Amino acid sequence: MPINKNAFKRYKVIDMLLRNKMRRYPTLEEITEICKEKLDLENLSTETIKKDIEHMRESQPSGFDAPITYNKQKRGYEYLDPDFVLGGVSLNDSDVDAIKESIDLIRSIGGTRVGEKFSNAMEKILTTLLEEFPDGTKKHSFLQTMTPPKSRGFEYFDLFYNACTTETPISFVHYNYKKRSFSASTIHPFLIKEFENKWYIIGYSEQHKEVRTFGMDRVFEPIRLKKKFIKVQKAIIEQEANDYYGVFPIPNQKKQRIKIRLSDLATNYFEAYPIHESQKIQKEPDGYSIVTFQLVPTIELTRLFLSHGHHVEILEPFWLIEFTENLK
Amino acid sequence: MAVKNRSLLFEVPNLDTPKQNPKILRVLVTNEFTRIDFGYTTPWYYEKGGWIKISSKTYLQIEGITTKYCLKEAVGIPIAPKRTNFKSTKDWQFFSLYFESIPQKDCILNMIEAEKPTENDFNYYGIVLKMEEGIEILE
Repeated sequence: MPINKNAFKRYKVIDMLLRNKMRRYPTLEEITEICKEKLDLENLSTETIKKDIEHMRESQPSGFDAPITYNKQKRGYEYLDPDFVLGGVSLNDSDVDAIKESIDLIRSIGGTRVGEKFSNAMEKILTTLLEEFPDGTKKHSFLQTMTPPKSRGFEYFDLFYNACTTETPISFVHYNYKKRSFSASTIHPFLIKEFENKWYIIGYSEQHKEVRTFGMDRVFEPIRLKKKFIKVQKAIIEQEANDYYGVFPIPNQKKQRIKIRLSDLATNYFEAYPIHESQKIQKEPDGYSIVTFQLVPTIELTRLFLSHGHHVEILEPFWLIEFTENLK
Repeated sequence: MAVKNRSLLFEVPNLDTPKQNPKILRVLVTNEFTRIDFGYTTPWYYEKGGWIKISSKTYLQIEGITTKYCLKEAVGIPIAPKRTNFKSTKDWQFFSLYFESIPQKDCILNMIEAEKPTENDFNYYGIVLKMEEGIEILE
């Protein structure tokens, strides 16, 4: 549950009272009265404060793991751990500045690119920060990133993420846009990948008997299965994670050297935005350049080359020249 | 073979049935319900792809037994007389039908939408469920 902004204000007052060494062991009634006074809340009840304390005690991420206890002898509340910090972090001035700058970035990325669990955590951080730094609520943002609306299938992000971490096979229904056909698949997932704002789940597919990539937008009703997880070789996982530009490899092709020639115009873009860590540019006197990559060729890579039109010419491997020509 | 207190998932291979669209994809047998997942692609011969709906009287029947396991809920497809009108001959729809729970025993399952079906009714025959082939799911 996201934390209500007013609730967080009360937590801060409760925290302050439990920390007050001049007046230790405040009672429920005293806490309620001081909250009423400080927050200008006329109708605040002791029941609400009791619930607040219970919520503060709850484990993270829903609560704060606050070690609040009722001292029967003193008839009041106290922190068992005097070093406890509400929110779990103590910040210096430099941290505060960095976080203030980050608020804009976090807001602009928003909840569309992360799962519900992460959105809640983010909301919690933002609520905390807004209480600390009210100027963070300024209306005008100085940062803007690509934030597309939530896509179909993204609601399964958390399920697939957990399946990857807990090594749980998943059955789902898949729709193939090209073939216009449905099929039931069982995948042993090991990687979630985002590429150009599209999300993919990658794993060993029982039906295909090999590692396959599925767009989350084409996945329906995933179900976690109680069966042995089929592990994929570490080298394959690393290749999927590091040696692709995009997600869909061209069948039967291994990692290899890819050589292209760029116009002076295209050279500017590839210099400014390298597409892969293996990219090496050798510039020629006329501004043109020869670029090499060590990559597993993918559909997305060929599409990228094609999108530059006559500014990109594929030199090697020869089969890729023909393959790309056929995509035109 | 009888199995109790488990939820079992069956990925259904292509059925030898005249009705191939919607295609039956999976059957989930639990103690609370029996769910059948379908995938439908709109055909070329209806202008704008036609429409789909399901009768509230649809039921499951196990071959050799007269008991009817009634439809409880439909997700992704409206209950007749309501219907989903498609917009093109390239549309598609995933949907699930929830029926009363069937016994967890090896069986051959039929799904009947109409006793005297036309080509528009979703009747399926001969869905073979062998409990040992069911995959247990995590609740």
